[in-house]
Amino acid sequence: MTEEGHLHTLSIRNLTVRKGGVEILSGVDADIRCGEVTALVGPNGAGKTTLLQAILGQVPYTGQIRFCRAREHGQGEPRIGYVPQRLSLDRDAPLTVLDFFALSAQRRPVFLGPSRKAREAARKSLEQAGVGHLLRRPLGRLSGGELQRVLFALALRDEPDILLLDEPVSGVDVAGEELFCDFLSQVQRNSLFSLLLVSHDLSVVTRHADQVICLNRRIVCQGATTEVLTPENLAAMYGSDAHLFRHTPADGHGHLHEPGE
Amino acid sequence: MEGILAGVFALMDRLLPFAFAEAGFMKRALLALLLTAPASAAMGVPLVQHRMAFFSDAIGHSAFTGVALGVLLGVSPSWTMAAFGVLVAVAIVLVKGRTDLSTDTVVGVFFSTVVALGIAVISREKGLTRNLQAFLYGDPLAVTDAELAGMALLLLLVAAYLSLLYNRILLLGIDEGFARTKGVPVRAVEISFAVAVALVVTAAIRTVGILLVTALLVIPAASARNVARGAASALWVSVGIALFSGVAGIVASWYLDTATGATVVLAAAGCFALTALLRVARPRG
Repeated sequence: MTEEGHLHTLSIRNLTVRKGGVEILSGVDADIRCGEVTALVGPNGAGKTTLLQAILGQVPYTGQIRFCRAREHGQGEPRIGYVPQRLSLDRDAPLTVLDFFALSAQRRPVFLGPSRKAREAARKSLEQAGVGHLLRRPLGRLSGGELQRVLFALALRDEPDILLLDEPVSGVDVAGEELFCDFLSQVQRNSLFSLLLVSHDLSVVTRHADQVICLNRRIVCQGATTEVLTPENLAAMYGSDAHLFRHTPADGHGHLHEPGE
Repeated sequence: MEGILAGVFALMDRLLPFAFAEAGFMKRALLALLLTAPASAAMGVPLVQHRMAFFSDAIGHSAFTGVALGVLLGVSPSWTMAAFGVLVAVAIVLVKGRTDLSTDTVVGVFFSTVVALGIAVISREKGLTRNLQAFLYGDPLAVTDAELAGMALLLLLVAAYLSLLYNRILLLGIDEGFARTKGVPVRAVEISFAVAVALVVTAAIRTVGILLVTALLVIPAASARNVARGAASALWVSVGIALFSGVAGIVASWYLDTATGATVVLAAAGCFALTALLRVARPRG
């Protein structure tokens, strides 16, 4: 079922999504393979979030999204991890990081306290992410970088088959991006899941992604990062009048600047 | 049923040997508050997290129509009020899921509609205005035995409901897409929560009235937010504040000769002020 060397593949065939009579995505074909980082890039309104929602089963679609796995990788429905772009938490929300982990780990209601098992799992994955000290901190009071680490730790706790990251480095400082690199290398080391990364930041994409899918309502192009991110393809995706800056990767900035941005 | 109630009253006589608790109607009022206030305060914690204070106010105001329907149909208004409240709650959730309008706009439309409908019906039936008074300001002193039994049942239902679904309700309040990936059946949880809020709100109207019922859900939860750091303390502080406000309010209303529902809400507001001061005095990291 799967291609050689990959334990599993999320294969998307002829995916079309309509919202209110408008075609948001049409005829999308893509493969997201285990052990690889696949980046999803495209201008605002290209349907990147819609594609994530389709994979998560949150919007109706036509076409096929299939999870093909090798026999040694286990059976059943794939576990899909999702790290949202932001959480709409108030700073006052009475919820500690431990509570947040417990919400999705135990049947016992959190107002009766976290279970021992949930606490241990939370402690372990937070320590792995280097933020064991945040266990009892209120979730709403974390800095952007801390919250990001907590979300990554939670995503890894549940051992997903596919991990979807929505703009993981937007609004995060340089340290946050370094953390993200660590996280990705950790992911690639155990290489048991595939990672789909939505990003506006081309420097992040060129440095970390193995595969790139360029999307603008349909697939503009896809393939190995080095082959795909050419000026011609970027112009086709963002429009030829877009100002495209690609600084050298060394200076850490490779943002796309769209007109009016 | 009457035996149980008599037993409870005898127990109250022993525990509360005070003048204010002597009269039967005062015991009834106290019991009504001890049953509805903690249920409201417990539901209030996720309600505040979901930013649904306005929703709960709309359900409260749907009681105008609910009560009018009860009188017109010759059924006890308490039951039609609850049934109509549930109907409006489900309608709001369903419409909200099918439109791009913001939640407060949808709630606003329903809010005005149910109030207008209630007033239209009431103005046709001249005798109804008197009936409405008790619902507008609340009248815990006139709670019937059947209503007390209903409140006790509701408290048990709320405890069971929150025990089963609390984690999923909180996850949904954090982020819908995130909750879905954690296996939360979003629509089912959303509708069940709206129905539970509607039942609690319409039960609490008997004690504090249409105008103040949202306060019973929102103020204890908001006060708890001032001092609680975690999910467990938030719920228990909220319930504790509600119980304290219920008892303090009813005692104060006896000695000050003020409306019971309003006095209870004022006691809760006092708790909010106090916790807000505590929060300023001890800023959290």
